Amino acid sequence: MEQLINDLKLQIKEALNLEELSLEEFDENAPLFGDEGIGLDSIDVLEIIVLLEKNYGIRLANPKDGRAIFQSVKTIAEYVQANRKK
Amino acid sequence: MINVLATNITSPLGFTTEQNYQAVLSGSSALKRYEGLWGPAEPFAASLFSEEQRTALTIEGYTFFEALAIRSIREALTHTHLDLASERIVLILSTTKGNIEALGEERYYPSKAAQRIAEAIGLTTKPIVVCNACVSGLSAQLLANHLLSANVYDYAIAVGAEVQSKFIVSGFQSLKAVSEEPCRPFDIERNGLNPGEAAATIVFARNADGERWCLMDGATCNDAYHNVSPSPQGEGLTNAINAVLAGQDKSRLATVCVHGTATLYNDQMESKAIERANLSDIPLSALKGYYGHTMGAAGVLETILTMRATDDGIILPSKGFTEPGVSGKVSISGEPKKTDKRAFLKLMSGFGGCNVAAMYEKTKDYRQRTTGKAKLVKAHTIKLSSEDGQTLTDIYKQQIGDYPKFYKMDLLTRLAFVATEKVLSNFPLKGEDKKPALILFNHSSSIVADRQFFDTICDAENYFPSPSVFVYTLPNITTGEVAIRHHLCGETSFYILPDKDEALMQQILEASLAGTDTPTAISGWVDAESETCYECELTLYNIINI
Repeated sequence: MEQLINDLKLQIKEALNLEELSLEEFDENAPLFGDEGIGLDSIDVLEIIVLLEKNYGIRLANPKDGRAIFQSVKTIAEYVQANRKK
Repeated sequence: MINVLATNITSPLGFTTEQNYQAVLSGSSALKRYEGLWGPAEPFAASLFSEEQRTALTIEGYTFFEALAIRSIREALTHTHLDLASERIVLILSTTKGNIEALGEERYYPSKAAQRIAEAIGLTTKPIVVCNACVSGLSAQLLANHLLSANVYDYAIAVGAEVQSKFIVSGFQSLKAVSEEPCRPFDIERNGLNPGEAAATIVFARNADGERWCLMDGATCNDAYHNVSPSPQGEGLTNAINAVLAGQDKSRLATVCVHGTATLYNDQMESKAIERANLSDIPLSALKGYYGHTMGAAGVLETILTMRATDDGIILPSKGFTEPGVSGKVSISGEPKKTDKRAFLKLMSGFGGCNVAAMYEKTKDYRQRTTGKAKLVKAHTIKLSSEDGQTLTDIYKQQIGDYPKFYKMDLLTRLAFVATEKVLSNFPLKGEDKKPALILFNHSSSIVADRQFFDTICDAENYFPSPSVFVYTLPNITTGEVAIRHHLCGETSFYILPDKDEALMQQILEASLAGTDTPTAISGWVDAESETCYECELTLYNIINI
């Protein structure tokens, strides 16, 4: 699980061009949206959906389903663990 | 205010305005479900030309996009007697992706396509391409109004054209914006747009006799909120409507022809703006249920259809609508209505946060708009180029540093962003100057982002269209990003020219600002061909209207 969380942090940082966010600062429990956390927006969610399909074979057709999954890197990791196809 | 001399719609529903109007009146729609078209793209509903129609429209030596525009213009011109070789006629081409299928070739460049179209028609002046995403079709008409009212030209041919492709469809699918079913504008069940292809032409005149449709006035306002999601309260659209209707009697409006893409956010936003602008009682018509979203053509096509229907005393039904699914109070119906009114409002909103409203009226009480003149006073100019020996990222790190979103931007946007930061660091906008216009020009459109996005879709085995890259394949996203950064809520426009023609840029800028209360403008050339070949020259102007 820890490996998966680290992989996801790296993949998200790269895919979303979070240049100024260091992996050390990237807290897997921090909320991904809103001013309190990482501050991602709706396009970022769509880019994470692409990333999950590309790297883990997970297809999420409706971004609305993603609200619970995309709370934090931790919740994404749990979802990937349970649903990954590769 | 300018006059309509002639129109044409060339779409899967017919090749003339009349054929299209009769088809729509009888309830026809060209929307069909496609599966397996263009490789790995998921199923989608779209309004596409049939093979037979494509063959009929093809012109040897031209791309289908060019041929479509040429056919539409030629048919419109059969209703006029213009001296096409005159230096007083200009072609304004509205498109979002033009010849995108020719990426890698010379004819990819939108201005190249426009020049080929202009030459085929027999025009001798330099064409202007409007690239303001979904609102382009209205922007092209507003530019015609500016240029004719400022007496730069006597006639303008505004043509909007779009041909659909894997590029566009995969991009909108990556944004989860495309529906597999025929779209349902404003309906509770709506779940996305349908791509459509068409060309539509309006020939405008500065002076014409008799009773005619007139473009009375228009306004463009940016949300300065988000590049893809519209302002939830319809801020920019409300401002645009209010600007156009200031001093007008709203009871003269037969209808408001909405954008109505049938995406959740667009229609909801429009309903809010319509309520806020006190237009809840005016019947709406949403026309995407007949044609899908014809993108660069939509603003022209939907304007023409609304003129024709209003001539007939009819408010066209919003096909696909049955039950309201928006929270703003609006009057919309799936049934036709009668009207004896002679004016309407056309709305468009699009990526890059831009919103346009335009008012049309059939009248013989024709008065030339006296716009006065805008005098532009240069306050400060910044030049940047790939020859500078300092990368944009270096400049960002050393001189800006407080906007991490910089790293998400494509090259073109980074270029405009850094240049604007440098211009405004010397001359910060004051509170009352918050509505400056932002009008940019280039030659290479969004070629860098187009290549990057193409890389994500060209390999069927590795097909992962990137939504964040696709957004930047609309060059006016650049204006949107700058508008968000500096809260610019005035006009934002992006024009593509064959070359850096400073005289023409100056004419467009002066004409666009004449008669407005815009206090300042940021404008200039922003062109990025590659990481090692880019050039930008942006100027902050103070505007004195005389």
